[in-house]
Amino acid sequence: MPLIIKDEYPEKLFREDGKRLDGRELNELRPIKMEVDVIKSADGSAYLEWGNNKVFAAVYGPREVHPHHLAKPDKGILRVFYRMATYSVFDRKRPAPGRREKEISMIISDCLEPILFLELYPGTSFEVFIEVVDADGGTRCASITAAALALADAGIPMKSLVSAIAVGKIDGKQVVDLSGIEDKAGDADLPIAITWYNEEISLLQFDGDMDLDEMTKFLDIAKDALSKIHQIQLDSLKSKYITLKEGEGEKKR
Amino acid sequence: MMNVKRIVSRIEKNYILSNLRKEERIDGRGLWEYRKFRIESDTISSAEGSADVTLGDTRIITGLKYDIGQPFPDLPNEGVCTVMAELLPLASPLFERGPPDEQSIELARVVDRGIRHADCIQTQKLCIKEKEAVYILFLDMYVINHDGNLIDTGGVSAITTLLSAHLPEGIIGDNGLEWTGKYLTGDDLVNELPLVLTYGKIDDIIFLDPNLPEELVCEGKISISVTEKKITSIQKSGATTFSIDDIKMLGKKTLEISQKLRKELNLLQYKTSIK
Repeated sequence: MPLIIKDEYPEKLFREDGKRLDGRELNELRPIKMEVDVIKSADGSAYLEWGNNKVFAAVYGPREVHPHHLAKPDKGILRVFYRMATYSVFDRKRPAPGRREKEISMIISDCLEPILFLELYPGTSFEVFIEVVDADGGTRCASITAAALALADAGIPMKSLVSAIAVGKIDGKQVVDLSGIEDKAGDADLPIAITWYNEEISLLQFDGDMDLDEMTKFLDIAKDALSKIHQIQLDSLKSKYITLKEGEGEKKR
Repeated sequence: MMNVKRIVSRIEKNYILSNLRKEERIDGRGLWEYRKFRIESDTISSAEGSADVTLGDTRIITGLKYDIGQPFPDLPNEGVCTVMAELLPLASPLFERGPPDEQSIELARVVDRGIRHADCIQTQKLCIKEKEAVYILFLDMYVINHDGNLIDTGGVSAITTLLSAHLPEGIIGDNGLEWTGKYLTGDDLVNELPLVLTYGKIDDIIFLDPNLPEELVCEGKISISVTEKKITSIQKSGATTFSIDDIKMLGKKTLEISQKLRKELNLLQYKTSIK
């Protein structure tokens, strides 16, 4: 039987004052909060709140490969497991991982691998576990951003961080950081990730329609937004090591 | 490389045990003391109720979702609540990927029984139309960090989630199922506040709230669910035996400790206020 409240899309994605439904400008990000070292049992971990998205990422490794036949003699392997909690979406998700989760796990793994030096760790594996506990559009980008932080927190040698964001088109206008509604009711969605050591694109997907001019603009607005996200990532990593002088912490509270 | 301690060394076991003999714990607690609980409610916006509970470093995030379905034939005017637990491999090197194993099923079952037999949920309020439509509640617990005693953490997180509930209220109208515009809240749903307390046993010493190192050297555990005055559910696990006197003592202890804990946690403060 259907649920009592239906998941309906609005007709317009802009308010009368020209702002987006949640009050943002075209190129404005949702509020982002990042924290590292939140899961004590993991080698490295991160928690990310991005609008209503809430994502945990934990890294274990380098460790023994299990099952053993997956091990490679010349380099380490990276395995990513992206999962969503049953209660993270409007209709309860089935507990077992679905096709969508498996595909996203793979593209996240492909996105992260270029920043690692896997050739230094033959015969071992790095496992990145991502759990989306609350979802509202852009969870794969939030997951990549959190996973990069968790890898850095684990002290694994990296060429650089990687940051990700979704840009898209809603009611004919190009915007950054699509929310859940904008993603579902909008016209185009382009998740993109950048590896900062070479400033190249490490994840790229697109669904919708665009002409060449629009594509150029998408890439430009995405780059701007990505540098903001990179800065937040760097700040959150540094804040783990900030020490407070005696009494200073008390005042802040 | 992370030190995965599936097997604890004899030295560590002896250290834990010799401390316990002096009525001390490796983290400085007494035998009958809990680690610190930290509770946040309604943190997940997509869920119809949620709780983020930590006990020491053990952390569980629970969410409530619902479906509308047919009631069981023998209980035609009562809703249904199911409890699930996921031991995420993210939470501990001891957890593996894959379908739920014994440990996660035990966690879900013990928490479920604690709720069910305490008459915690007013299941008749979950009926929309007799024999036809009732709410089916899903309480899904996700372990985010594992540092021992998942059951007690899960118990508090399940109750807090139910208290923080805001289920859209449905009626069967002319066009089928409709929303009344109101919500069913923790106020409507929750009758009793059961708590589950878990004890570990090493040799002949019994203690409350085992942390992970203690749990790994434990020979057995016992979980007792209680309401304010009554014992409602017990689960003994692990390959050890408890004497009859021990069980009697633990029953009494559990009621005492739970009354104190109930006051400290003051779970009713997490009740939702929207109507």
